[in-house]
This record gives sequence, structure tokens and C-alpha cells, in this order.
Amino acid sequence: MTDDRPRVDITKAEDEVTRSQLLRRAAAGAIVLVYGGFGAKTAVAGAPNFRGKELKGTLKILQWSHFVPAYDGWFDNQYTKRWGQANDTDIIVDHVNQADLPARVAAEAAAGKGHDLVALLAPAPQYEDRVIDHKEIVQEVRHKRGKMADVCYRSAYNPKTKKFHGFPDFYAPDPVDYRTDLWGQVGLKPDTWDHVLKAAPKLRQMGHPVGIGMSNEIDSNMAMMALMMCFGSFIQSSKARVTLNSKATREALTFGRDLFRKGMSNEIFAWTAASNNQGMLAGRLSLALNAISIPRSAESTNPDLAKTIGLLPIPKGPHGRLGLEHVMHTYMIWKFASNKKMAVKFLVELEIKYRGAFEASKFYNFPSFPASVQNIPVRLGRDPHPPAGKYKILQTISQKYTKNVGYPGYSNAAIGEIFDTFLIPQMFAEVAQGKRTPDDAARDYQRRIGTVFEKWRKRGKI
Amino acid sequence: MIERREKLFSYLVLGPFAIVLAFPFYWMLWTSFKSDIDLYNVNDVPFAFGKGSPTTRNYGFLFHHTQYLTWVKNTAFVGIVVVLITLALALPAGYALTRLAGRWGQNVGVGIFLTYLVPPTLLFLPMSWVIAHAGLQDRLLSLIIVFPSFTVPFSTWLLMGFFKTIPLELEDAALVDGASRLKTLLHVVFPISVPGILTVVIFSFSLVLNDFVYALAFITTSSAKTISTGVSTELIRGDVFYWQALMAATLIPSIPLALLYNAFLNRFIAGFTGGAFR
Repeated sequence: MTDDRPRVDITKAEDEVTRSQLLRRAAAGAIVLVYGGFGAKTAVAGAPNFRGKELKGTLKILQWSHFVPAYDGWFDNQYTKRWGQANDTDIIVDHVNQADLPARVAAEAAAGKGHDLVALLAPAPQYEDRVIDHKEIVQEVRHKRGKMADVCYRSAYNPKTKKFHGFPDFYAPDPVDYRTDLWGQVGLKPDTWDHVLKAAPKLRQMGHPVGIGMSNEIDSNMAMMALMMCFGSFIQSSKARVTLNSKATREALTFGRDLFRKGMSNEIFAWTAASNNQGMLAGRLSLALNAISIPRSAESTNPDLAKTIGLLPIPKGPHGRLGLEHVMHTYMIWKFASNKKMAVKFLVELEIKYRGAFEASKFYNFPSFPASVQNIPVRLGRDPHPPAGKYKILQTISQKYTKNVGYPGYSNAAIGEIFDTFLIPQMFAEVAQGKRTPDDAARDYQRRIGTVFEKWRKRGKI
Repeated sequence: MIERREKLFSYLVLGPFAIVLAFPFYWMLWTSFKSDIDLYNVNDVPFAFGKGSPTTRNYGFLFHHTQYLTWVKNTAFVGIVVVLITLALALPAGYALTRLAGRWGQNVGVGIFLTYLVPPTLLFLPMSWVIAHAGLQDRLLSLIIVFPSFTVPFSTWLLMGFFKTIPLELEDAALVDGASRLKTLLHVVFPISVPGILTVVIFSFSLVLNDFVYALAFITTSSAKTISTGVSTELIRGDVFYWQALMAATLIPSIPLALLYNAFLNRFIAGFTGGAFR
């Protein structure tokens, strides 16, 4: 007798998974894990940063991509990691290209959410109501390292509201970068504006024009404002009164027009933040006003050219030698920051021991508290790139010739808006292009700048 | 003879256009293989390779020292999902406004299109608030949600024009034969709308690829960035531009897109001009 009943294999469980099912499920699982990461950042975050340690908090920082890649490497992977370990904090550093930072910061301000610390390359007093008073940080560092550099103090402090609207950890001195070989051929040195004007036509004839921007960008802003100051022209007085419409401004505008006509090219009206560097690195420009990114880039890409790039303080004008910082790297802690206490501590400790940052930035970052880096002249003198001692001039420039934007007043909200809307380079460009006379431009821009000041005065910020 | 003359004439007209349009790509390709010292030598730019060139170092830098592949992956992922969302919303919307909404459908269509004209530079601040309060900052999901706000209006308007060119009799015939509206759509309308659908796919993907403002406002974590913001963060450092790597980074994604455009060129033109000659 045969048994026709269906046989049941008792060695197989009813819910056994076949090979193809297993593969399908594994694939589905992988998709969930991987793409879950797009939805939730921590889904596949991996092992904790510090083994065996449950971190107390997170500190999120947003800043520019430093022109020295090694600086970001030092800051992101060494300094913040060490500091985070010591303070039981996970530090996340995000970078954005400097030109796009203001838009990103504006987005965070609008959203009321974002990073704990954000850094801009110029003070942003317009956010004063959105950020904490950074006085506590300044006081703590001052206690350990003495006085803050005046250029930084005047950039971050609002005497009207008695608040620090930001904390500059460093500024970059703004030297003149010039080709020693070319200037040697014309037998002059760009140590006065008069010499610049005299040499410019000859240099242009040699195929190496002077390159000082008159365009809507940060370098043109700095260069034109510094030029004005050397002629005794100031946007405001020490009491925040608009003083633009003056004989000195007209003289500065006339000089700018003459310099363009005699020794520059139309390129200066389309100047970008990269133009100084590119023009000098291409061997085309004979002079530019820029921080040390020009010789530093040349040292790595074209060492022969680097040897011929000299640094000098801003040329002397009828009113003297008054330059501006090239960059005022200013951190702000939002009022909505989730880890304000740790952000304050981080900035204090970063500033107190600034030597690492100074060296990693190849002397670009000058500390806002000069005593935070010992023996700056000796360190500058040790730079191995020829000609020897080239960078020692930075100390003189930083101590004697670097003023804040808005000098002799403070970098207040009105100055910030004038800076952000590029009114000063626009004024120079209009005169240089012959669209306006210096008289007309000085009068009109006095009125326009006056409106900006009036707006911020009404808001109680100046 | 006449044919040859016509051909010659068309080459004479189109030749300069082709050269002008292709020149940026040629420039990008050439620059991407230049060494620093060669790039900044004004005597070499742009038609010859000088000292140290050609070199593949810039590509090496791009692939090994930045997170370029991650940005490409992120961009492709966001692009594909946004295209799918756009199709899912714009196809029925475009059809309904053309066929079912009567006279006011056209006005609504124009209204929808007008929303496309509001520039992202105005919208990114309020959008940032929305994204932050939805807890979507630094996540690709934020882009997936926001991008359809400009791809859907344009695609709807484009498809409306296209659906108008499809003879109503075709749909009536299907309905008379007993097909449901959905079946008519799936088996009659959509298959003959392929040029329009392809246009929407390519155009939406291009818009996603080109966006900068939203990607900048919503995402700062390097590993979650798309090509547009990742490249500008890592290859523009302060006032120093890594031109060769920048050129390589922008050339690479443009190649598949250009191939896609060329492969479907005729359908693409039909899609764009579909509603124009009715």
C-alpha cells in the first residue's frame, strides 16, 4: 500500500528563506540603511568619535574655506578634535566659499536655526540683535592676554549700545604686493601714491599695468577706502557723522581717475576677489593691494615669480599712510545657538593660544590679541622663502598702518551696509569712467551715505 | 547643385553658432589638463600646452582630495527623485488643466507658470525658515521637497501645451471603446506624449543640476552637498581659485547631460514646440 499524501519535509521550517529571497531582503535592508542616511543624518553615522565616551554636546561651526588648505586641515582635524576631546564635545566644522557666506548666514538668521558659531570675513553689526553680546569673551581673553588690537576692537564694538556684536579671532594685514624686478626697471618704489602714479604709465607700457579694483567686491572696497584715507578723506567722523563730501575726497577721486587713465586697464571695473591673485600669478600685474595669498600661492606654483614679489605698507598719501585690514574674521554666536556656553569657551581658548593658527595659516591670521602669539617678528623672520625676511614687514603694517573700516569711527551698522553695497568703489568707478566729476560724485554719495546713516540712527544702532 | 549650395549655406550659418556654443566646453577641457605654471602663463593661454602640461593631476586632486564623487552621487539622487515627483504631479495636472478644467484651466495654467517666475533669491530666506522648522536642514530631503516648487510649475505649463496637440478624437475613440479615463491616459495619451515627458525629464534634471541658492541655504555638511555648492566650497579657497579642477568638475556632469540632449534632440524639440503651432 502506498501513501499518496503529500510529503512534508520536516527538516525545512515553513518560513525558511530561499537564497533569492535572502538576496532581495539584504538588498532592501541595504537600501534602507544607506538611503535612510539621506533622511536621517545619523542613520549610518558610524562609530562615535571618541571611543568609550558619551559626549555631552555638539558644537557646530560655519566658516570660510581658508586660502591655505593646510589651515583647514589643522583646524578641522587637529585643533577642534583635540579641543573637543578635552571638553567632551563633538565639534562639527562646515565650510562655505567666502563669497557665499553672507547668503548662508542670512538664511540662518531668517530661519532662526543653524550653527552655534558663524564666522564672516568682515564684521556684521546688522546682526547685533540676533547675536549674543560677546563682551564676556573679550574680557576673558583680555584678562589673560592684555589689550585687544585697536583695529579689532573698533570693528566689533558698538559704543552706542555698548555691545560686542562679534568676536574677531584674527585679521589679515593688507600690504602692497609689487614686482620688485619691474619696479626696479622704472627706478621707483611704490612707497607713495605719487610714485605709483608716476610709474604706472611706464609699467603699463611695459605690459604690466597696476591692478587696483574699482568694482563690487571686497578687495576693491578695501583698496578704495584705504586710498581715500591716505588722502585724508573719511566716510565718517569719530562721532559717526558723515564727512564724505570734502576736498580730500575730491582729491582722492581725481587721483583714482588719473591712475586709471594713466596706468590701469578696463579690467579693474570687472575686478573679482581672485583678480589680484590671478593678475600677479600670471606675471601681468606690476602691483596689487592684497593680503599675502599672492606670494604664498606663487611660492607653491611658481617659485621664480615668488622671489620677485615684494611686500610694502600702503603707499603714503598727502594725509599719511593709512591702510585697512584685508580680512576681519569675525565669529558670531547666535542667540538661538543651542550650545552658547561651549561656543564662548571655544573662542576664548582658541584666542588665548593662537600660535597654532598663526603658523598653520602661514602668517595670514594675525591674532586679534597680539600677545596671544609670542615673538611674532622672530617667527615672521624664520620664513624659509626667499628673499629672506620678506614677511617681517607684516608686523610693521599690522601695528602702524592697519585701521578699521569706518576709521576714525567704529565699524558700525551703517558702515557695514555701505561696505556690503559697495558704494565707495562704485563712486570711484563712476568718476574714473568719466560718468561724473569728482565734485558731483562726492556730493551725491554724501547724500546716499547720509541716508544709510539716518536709517541706522533711527534704529538706535549708531 | 542647388542642394549642395543649400547645404553649404546652412553650414555657413550654423558653423559659427556651433563654434561659439562648443567653445566653453573646449576651454573647460583644455584648462582641466593644464599645470598651474602653464595656466598662468599669458603666452600659452589658451591654445597650447606649455610647461608641465598636459597633466591629469587636476583630476587626481578632484577625485582624491575632495568629496567630488559623493557630490555627484547626491546630485544624481536628488535629480532622479525630483524628476519622478515632477512627473507624478505635472502629468496629471497638465492633463487635467488642458482637458478637464474647461476655459479657466488655461488661466490657472498661466497662474501656475507665474509662480515659476519668482526667483529663488527672493524665496530662499522664507524657505530656509520652513526647512529649519521642519527639521530638514543639512539633509538632501530638503532639496527633494523644495526643488519641485519650481520644476512642477514649468513642467505643468509645458505639458499643457503638449497635451493640446493631441487630437481629442483619439481619446474619444478609446472612451467609446470602453476604456476608462485612467486607461485612456496610460495607453493612449502618455505613449504619444513621450517627447513632452522627455522634455520634462531633461529640463527638470537640468534645473536641479543648476540650482545653487537653495543648496547653499539648506546644506553645509560637505558630505551632503551637491555638485554646485561642493565644488565652490572646496575649489574656491578665499581668493584662490583652483581653476583646472573647477573646469574638470563642471565638465564631467555636463557630458552625460549633453549626450542625453543629443540622443533625444528631435523629441526634445517636439516637446518644446508641441503647443506652439496648434
